[in-house]
Amino acid sequence: MTNLILAVGREFQWTTVLVALAIAFGFSLVLGILILLINKFTQVKEDPRIKEVEKCLAGANCGACGYPGCAGFAKALVEGKANLDSCGQTPTDKRIEISNILGIEVSGNAEPTIAVVGCSGGVKCQDKYEYQGYGDCVSQNLLAGGRKACEVGCMGAGSCVDACPYHAIECREGYAHVDPELCRSCGLCIQTCPKSLIKRVPVSAKVYVACSTQCRGKDVMSKCQAGCIACGKCERNCPVGAIHLVNNVPIIDYSKCIHCYKCLEGCPRHCIKYVYPEDVPNSSETAEQAK
Amino acid sequence: MDVFGIIVAALFADNFVLSQFLGICPFLGVSKKISSAAGMGLAVTAVMVITCAITYPIYTFLLAPMGLEYLSILVFILLIASLVQILEMVLKRFSPGLYSAMGIYLPLVTTNCAILGIAKIVTATVTSAEEAGYSFGEVFFGHYVKVNMALGYGEAVLSGLFYGLGFTLAIVLLAGLRQKADKLHVAKALKGFPITMLVACFMAMAFYVFTLI
Repeated sequence: MTNLILAVGREFQWTTVLVALAIAFGFSLVLGILILLINKFTQVKEDPRIKEVEKCLAGANCGACGYPGCAGFAKALVEGKANLDSCGQTPTDKRIEISNILGIEVSGNAEPTIAVVGCSGGVKCQDKYEYQGYGDCVSQNLLAGGRKACEVGCMGAGSCVDACPYHAIECREGYAHVDPELCRSCGLCIQTCPKSLIKRVPVSAKVYVACSTQCRGKDVMSKCQAGCIACGKCERNCPVGAIHLVNNVPIIDYSKCIHCYKCLEGCPRHCIKYVYPEDVPNSSETAEQAK
Repeated sequence: MDVFGIIVAALFADNFVLSQFLGICPFLGVSKKISSAAGMGLAVTAVMVITCAITYPIYTFLLAPMGLEYLSILVFILLIASLVQILEMVLKRFSPGLYSAMGIYLPLVTTNCAILGIAKIVTATVTSAEEAGYSFGEVFFGHYVKVNMALGYGEAVLSGLFYGLGFTLAIVLLAGLRQKADKLHVAKALKGFPITMLVACFMAMAFYVFTLI
């Protein structure tokens, strides 16, 4: 053994090794005990219901409720700060389960919603200038309010497409379309759109107004071929009085709507549209209408 | 104690990230948003102050007098990791607001090279007992420790604070530039991470000017 150590050319100092070991071991022991003690004193008791509630929630972490993720929302629910209705994605049976856990009442009348885009101008709407730059609506909007002649025209550059976690939005014919089957109404596109064009409608809604301009008819005519000219035909056609013009925009009261489609059929500008594409009678007929 | 010198060196000339190349992982990893970058910077600053406040006395009282300088990395890692763990538990219990702001970053920086780097930097100022020519009797709680603690302790803690703030400055600057760079129209090959590396490179070149002063 001694020969071997001498062969390496170095004296092996057992005391050094022992001191090093003792110091390392001593430090670990002292610190370990310290951590254990402090852990005992500073233990945070977390409500076990938070975990249970979080399991029931949809788990998409979209942040539409205003809390940081589903965990934050579950915490706020348990503390009684949040309203269960502000989560549009949790299915009804899970809501009832949560209400059983927390002993709170669920109103039940909060109907799920989906998003629709309040513009159908796109290529039919004139451009103010030719935009050359980074192709994002948010950055485009910084330059004189975007390239569209209409103050509230969809630029179709796809900020909402990027924001949507469910890939429910796509841009066709120069403006954004929401796929109602994929939309979970998380509201991220609503926050993103620089023109605030996207709004929510109840899932039972069949028609929506695809224009948001508050200009008078003549101004709209000169800028956009698909814009609402506030003629009031839909208001007159509606048999139940569910549509009213407010600031030159038709507003549909979905609690009164009986899905007769008279507003849609009468609209000379075709800016009242079907929410669900499968409701469209057939494509050739609509193509004729468009002509 | 040259306070002004320490501040300028820690913030600019000797900046941890941009001139010493330490702590690159959090610098590039957590700099996507200014808010998270600031949280990370604060966590690093807090851990650096604690590191300096603890490792310097341990080194002067225990390791340097016994000639155990070679154990310093092992001991420092142990100390820093457990102290950060304790800090995290205390924050979670007594200050949930602060915990939610920087709590998640604390475990990430425990064994970061920037933290070990600051410990090595401040302890490097301690001259070993053998070199200073003290006898074995003098070093334990004697004149040697007194001299080193009186001269170096304040300086060590101050360095910890300002090197941490220098890190915060660099990471917040990079986060701001990165947010701008994401909006820019850059070549496809450079999009995302490559442009970040270039931005960091130019920042380091800009900070190099401070070393010439």
